[in-house]
Amino acid sequence: MKHNKLHDTLLVAPGYLIYTIFMIIPLGMCFFYSFTNWDGISKKFKMIGFKNFVRLFADADFYNALKVTLIITVITVLIYNVLGVLLAVILNRKNRVCAFTKSAIFVPTVLSSVVVAFIWSYIMQTDGGVINILLGALGLSPIDFYATPLRTIVMISIIISWNGLGLFLVIYVATLNTIPTELMEAAEVDGANGVQRFFKITLPLMMPGITINSILSMAGGLKQYDHVKVITGGGPGGATQTITLLSVEKAFEYNRRGYSSAIILVLFILIVIVSALQLSITKRREVKY
Amino acid sequence: MNKRGIGQWIRSILIAVFGLVYLFPLYIAVVNSFKSYADILKSPLALPSHPTMQNFVEAFHSSNILSLYGTSILITFSSVAMLILISSTAAYVIIRRNNGICKFLYAFALIGIMVPPVVTLVPSIKTLSMLHLLYKPSGLLMFYGGAYFSTTIFLYTGFINSIPVSLDESAYIDGANTITIFFRIIFPLLKPCTATAVILMGMWIWNDFLNPMYILGSTAGRTITTGIYNAIGAYTSQWNLVFANVILASVPIIILYLSMQKQFMSGLTAGAVKG
Repeated sequence: MKHNKLHDTLLVAPGYLIYTIFMIIPLGMCFFYSFTNWDGISKKFKMIGFKNFVRLFADADFYNALKVTLIITVITVLIYNVLGVLLAVILNRKNRVCAFTKSAIFVPTVLSSVVVAFIWSYIMQTDGGVINILLGALGLSPIDFYATPLRTIVMISIIISWNGLGLFLVIYVATLNTIPTELMEAAEVDGANGVQRFFKITLPLMMPGITINSILSMAGGLKQYDHVKVITGGGPGGATQTITLLSVEKAFEYNRRGYSSAIILVLFILIVIVSALQLSITKRREVKY
Repeated sequence: MNKRGIGQWIRSILIAVFGLVYLFPLYIAVVNSFKSYADILKSPLALPSHPTMQNFVEAFHSSNILSLYGTSILITFSSVAMLILISSTAAYVIIRRNNGICKFLYAFALIGIMVPPVVTLVPSIKTLSMLHLLYKPSGLLMFYGGAYFSTTIFLYTGFINSIPVSLDESAYIDGANTITIFFRIIFPLLKPCTATAVILMGMWIWNDFLNPMYILGSTAGRTITTGIYNAIGAYTSQWNLVFANVILASVPIIILYLSMQKQFMSGLTAGAVKG
């Protein structure tokens, strides 16, 4: 088979051109800017070496944003994956009730994060919020979700999870369906009970899905912006700011593009390290049958 | 009824209750969008006693929702179509030609897969303004092209690998050239993968908030997300109007999802999870 070089080029070039201009070059620029004091407006700027990074690691706002981001990531990853696997196992039956609940969990996934955040900011209000009305009806004392930044962040993490769980559930259900039923039947014949079957067969064979989902959920948590932006705007006083929120604020409100690029670069490196670690852990646990 | 039967019943009821509780926040949004502000304060949980459409009328005018939908549909549709086209064609060539350049191109394409869009946002503002594309829908389209190329090419290369080369060869013997082979023979076979890409990219781009906020700004028209954020920002505590906006922004999408649920679910996973 002979290949027409011109045709090959025509098929490959447009994509790579766009990708190079709008991904590779900006990525390079982000690296470059992080070593400058560019303000985003003026034509002049200086190379300042590692000063941005030195400043960054002495910046209390940065450490706080890192802490907030990690808390959100840990909570959402746990909910997505632990609850996701459990619900997939429970709901993976062909009947109407399971089909209904699966669709119900997926509905919020198609909603935009902004919409979800507005609905929940009403529900979690201290006075007149639905959660506190329900707690009152049960004779319990109301919860002030804005009392401490930690409490707000935990609540926001739950909201994010409510928003996104559907996607992870669908992927887990699909993975579950790739497990041959003979394996389950054989284990049942051999006298394995439900719990044993779950830990010895289902869970190991779901590892490919767990790999995809844990990477997706970690990357999603680390770059969180939308929900926090709508619910708290990062406040009070930056106490609930995530890394993305902090870097966007530095870039566009304080016009410190160099410093902002350094923050984003740290986020990027964090995502790469976490995904690589994640991949090496879960890949090792994937089994063949 | 035997013991097992009762167990099944309890199980089904618990599952149904879980589903209903999961939808509860949406129930709150729907019922309260039909109430006056005073009614929301008085009875936020009940069905509307005096249902009113007034909130929707007001929200419809103040947020200019039709133009928001126009912008979002235009951007989502064109971005997804472009991504499908540029990544499926490129994926086909780099998988089928087993040479050094293509191996390099494959590795090169995967660099972007771990890069969150926020990394390229700040520098892209500069690049786009140099190309006179900033604050234009076409600029956002190009930005998405760069941002999601890696993901779509990753989906397609995996899928094209599973299509036998003998198909290409027999078409070649029949006199078809590369472009014809791709569009006539291969592309139709990529349908499951295209479905996955359309749904994933469509959801991400439709719901994107940060990038349109800074790349489109306010001059070139807003998308649903930035438009709703902007409209609601003006009256944060007037919950009746907030909910009306929320419903206007969501109902078409929920209807779309419910009417295409099967395609949605199978499409999401067909190209991604291999059996």
